[in-house]
Amino acid sequence: MVLQVKKASKNFGGLSALSDVSFSINQGEIFGLIGPNGAGKTTMFNLITSMFTPSSGEIIFNEDNINGLKPHLITKKGICRTFQNIRLFPQMTAEENVMVGEHCRSKSGVFSSVFRTKSQRQEEERIRSKANELLEFVGLGGFAETVSDSLAYGQQRRLEIARALASSPQLLLLDEPAAGMNETETSELFHLIKKIQEQGITVLLIEHDMPLVMKLCDRIAVLNFGKKIAEGTPAEIQNNPDVIEAYLGSEEEDMYA
Amino acid sequence: MLAELINPYYLQVASFILINIILGVSIYITLSTGQLSLANAGFMGIGAYTSALLTLNFDLPIIVGILAGTLLAGVFGILIGIPTLRLQGVYLAIVTLGFGEVIRVIFVNWESMTKGAVGLSGIPHMGRELLNTLKDFGFDPKILGLQNNQFVFLAIFLILLGVTISIIAFFRRQNRSRVGRAFAAIKLDEKAAESMGINITYYKVLAFAQGALVAGFAGALFAHVLAYISPADFAYHRAVEILIFAVFGGSEVIWGPVFGALFLTVMPEVLRFISEYRYMIYGLIIIIMMAVRPQGLIDVNILNWVKLKTPKRRQKHGTSSQKSI
Repeated sequence: MVLQVKKASKNFGGLSALSDVSFSINQGEIFGLIGPNGAGKTTMFNLITSMFTPSSGEIIFNEDNINGLKPHLITKKGICRTFQNIRLFPQMTAEENVMVGEHCRSKSGVFSSVFRTKSQRQEEERIRSKANELLEFVGLGGFAETVSDSLAYGQQRRLEIARALASSPQLLLLDEPAAGMNETETSELFHLIKKIQEQGITVLLIEHDMPLVMKLCDRIAVLNFGKKIAEGTPAEIQNNPDVIEAYLGSEEEDMYA
Repeated sequence: MLAELINPYYLQVASFILINIILGVSIYITLSTGQLSLANAGFMGIGAYTSALLTLNFDLPIIVGILAGTLLAGVFGILIGIPTLRLQGVYLAIVTLGFGEVIRVIFVNWESMTKGAVGLSGIPHMGRELLNTLKDFGFDPKILGLQNNQFVFLAIFLILLGVTISIIAFFRRQNRSRVGRAFAAIKLDEKAAESMGINITYYKVLAFAQGALVAGFAGALFAHVLAYISPADFAYHRAVEILIFAVFGGSEVIWGPVFGALFLTVMPEVLRFISEYRYMIYGLIIIIMMAVRPQGLIDVNILNWVKLKTPKRRQKHGTSSQKSI
């Protein structure tokens, strides 16, 4: 098991964003986290990456409790994420963005950088060529020198994935990667995520595009109002009455609507 | 021949330009992680007073004094940098401005040590000390066809020039490395930088300490070039002046504050009649720059344009005219 979330809760003041949510993700699978808007999916990402500390509960990554660890150490342990609203470094080129992602897998400090020691130069070379490989991998081969701001929306999403992959994660968290993408882009994304899985990287995916989620995920957990209401394979989820109710509303509600 | 060209007055102006360039670099470094610090006048004062007092009271060599002043300023940089990590933008600016004032007030009131508002005079002069040392070895500036005075100012200028070039080279190399990328990432999006595995605490304090070190270094040089310092040299006006170098020249690239310092030090010297109205003009510059060109005169696009116009350094591919940082 790569990741175990045990009874995680998060309260903001009196508001309970997540309550007692538990699930676990197996090595190498694509795990989907779905639910209506405001269900607490992104909050869950923020707990896993330690942007927030859980109000209660535990998050266990490879047998280690990672609660309260600083976010950059979480990345170093092997969890990296993308953001729902793209957060690239706008004035940097695509290549530089990905090179930043390799920060935690490299170690040159101030003095080796200034004196350009042999190991620093080799490391820079390695970082740069890996960055270009990753750009190639996500289909941005010709865009290394392009400022990320001027990339198309779908390309920016893929660049963010490349940047996250640069930190050599074991677990990759994707927050609505298909948002705002057209059908072609979504199908490219499908193949990209499959390719990432083939590399042995476990993927935790938040997504609203249901056909994509159902095709892609091995297992799915459904959140609604901060609680987990279902977990299972895509087929199980599609036929779960609670899930249908959360997405479509119950019959009684419809009567009064 | 050579002797007539070397005018001590011009050399002294040139030396102050170089010191101001170093100060401009100091504010640029902290700004390159997105932190606006106005404490650099204070750090400059710490460097200047430390070095002056050590050389005056303990007869230490100037170079030891300068190193000690620089390091102490760096230590203060860390001490101020850590508690102010949570502050951003204007709040950080206010706190650091306050710190600078505290330092100045200490210089004014710790009379037994600093001689208060009167200031310290008779600080060993870098050029003269060098001349005296060389004379012990039997060197005479006349060999070069120079007066003592000319040699002294020429030596200071050359030392400062070497130091300034080294500092700029240092930070240009740092910028193009893993450390520079981390700085830039923090400046552009702190949360994203953190989730990409960058230890933002470390890099922000590092930038703060580097800025303090450089400002302290400039202060120590200042003390030994001028041979006289007083608390007024490190007051609020100085903090604003350093800020203006970055606002006017720009803070995206290191050449921005360098150009700002150069231009704004030369201007009052060339246009003597303006000198009195300097601070009014600074105020105007801030307002105009904020309205018209918030990134400062020199930015990435201008640098790229200059590179394109310079035949030898022409870029290989057409697309790279967009390349940044």
